Amino acid sequence: MLLAAGGGAVSLAAAARAEDLVTIRGAYYREPSTRVIQPVVEIRKDLPDGFDVNAHYLVDTITSASAAAGTTIDNIFTEIRNEVGLGVGKSWERTRATLSYKYSAESDYWSHAMWASASRRFWGDTATVGIFGGFSLDQVGFTVRTPPCRTSTGSSCPLDSVFAGLAYTQVLSPVAVAQINLDSAALWGFLANPYRQEPNVGPEVFPDRRLRNAVSLRFAYYVPEWATGFQFQYRYYRDFYPGGLGGAPDPWGLTASTLEGRIYHRLSRDLEVRLLYRQYFQGPPAFWCDIATNSGCSPMASLPPWPYGTSDPAVGPVRTEYPEIKLYWEAVSLSSVRFFRWFAAGTFEISYGRYFQNDAFGNAHVLQTGYSMPY
Amino acid sequence: MPSVRLRLCLWIWILAGAAVAGAAGCAHAPPPVQPWQREHLAKRALRFDADPLEDRFRQHWYGAREGADLGFGQPGGGCGCN
Repeated sequence: MLLAAGGGAVSLAAAARAEDLVTIRGAYYREPSTRVIQPVVEIRKDLPDGFDVNAHYLVDTITSASAAAGTTIDNIFTEIRNEVGLGVGKSWERTRATLSYKYSAESDYWSHAMWASASRRFWGDTATVGIFGGFSLDQVGFTVRTPPCRTSTGSSCPLDSVFAGLAYTQVLSPVAVAQINLDSAALWGFLANPYRQEPNVGPEVFPDRRLRNAVSLRFAYYVPEWATGFQFQYRYYRDFYPGGLGGAPDPWGLTASTLEGRIYHRLSRDLEVRLLYRQYFQGPPAFWCDIATNSGCSPMASLPPWPYGTSDPAVGPVRTEYPEIKLYWEAVSLSSVRFFRWFAAGTFEISYGRYFQNDAFGNAHVLQTGYSMPY
Repeated sequence: MPSVRLRLCLWIWILAGAAVAGAAGCAHAPPPVQPWQREHLAKRALRFDADPLEDRFRQHWYGAREGADLGFGQPGGGCGCN
């Protein structure tokens, strides 16, 4: 999407023209205090004159032990999030442009996002430049407290963002491809968790602005004799507070590095396996501290006008590892089986991964399955 | 007056754009792959966009549990982890 893994969703949409395809997919995520079940359906359709359209609908069913997972507050609840997205694309001989919109709603968070992308192939169709940009307008709802950003007549605070990305993909040889991505996003508004309470402190306080930047490199190589391909990705991320600080230290400064490797191997004519391993290393922002184990450590609480503080595990010194195995099965062998031959043109996929986290969230099981069929 | 880091960020974008434009200038040289050599380029292993729906789910999940997502494309999350 981003053109990078983290941003990948937006930029990838620009990479290729759609085909007539319907996809149903399900994901199951389970960690000690949170369970997520996400069914999704997406349909893509080619239209005359180089146009194509796509639409998706998904539901997130999140059951958590706490409204602010990772805190000491224990309260079982189930939240439903509905998301719908629409996109239209136009392809020319070597150029493609898209326009997309997405709306997401849950009981305490609403988001509108719109973005556009364009890509062009050149140099004998071996190089592709892609750009995208967009914005989102979110509302964070409050039910348990009244932060300063909440107006007397409203029940939510705004969180707006603009984002952009640039990607360059180069075919290096008949079996090697490289890509570089640059992504940035500026956010302003209510960036904290509306529920998180820090022990003996009160609600966490985040800066009201954040500029997030990431650069990533990808390389893919295929060995025909082995029917095996390799992908490697490195991504570096850093954020900071945009604007004047009046001599005060930057409250942000979160840095992260992601390493990911994938091996694809064709086991038979119809069956392919993918092995994935990802490692993620994160350094916390300046205003983070582990208040639960070190009360009074909030490094910026005494630096007005920057009274920030959080112990949110997601922005702490996070390290995660994720090994996964995935199978793709092209179901052509069903063409001779009564009834099931309707599915013979499609591809089934299933994956299982284990997400190891070093923080309070604990380790997670991740199961995904799906089926895509051209029509 | 933009901060030093903001200006640095803008310069990185400008230089990246210039680098891409410069790469486009290589278009007069013979391309590294001819049309009849593209047999393998459509394979999943050589595509970075082979699983867009999976990418979307992973982005949402990483955005909820890690701090380095870019904060877009993954609205909400139910856990209040915006």
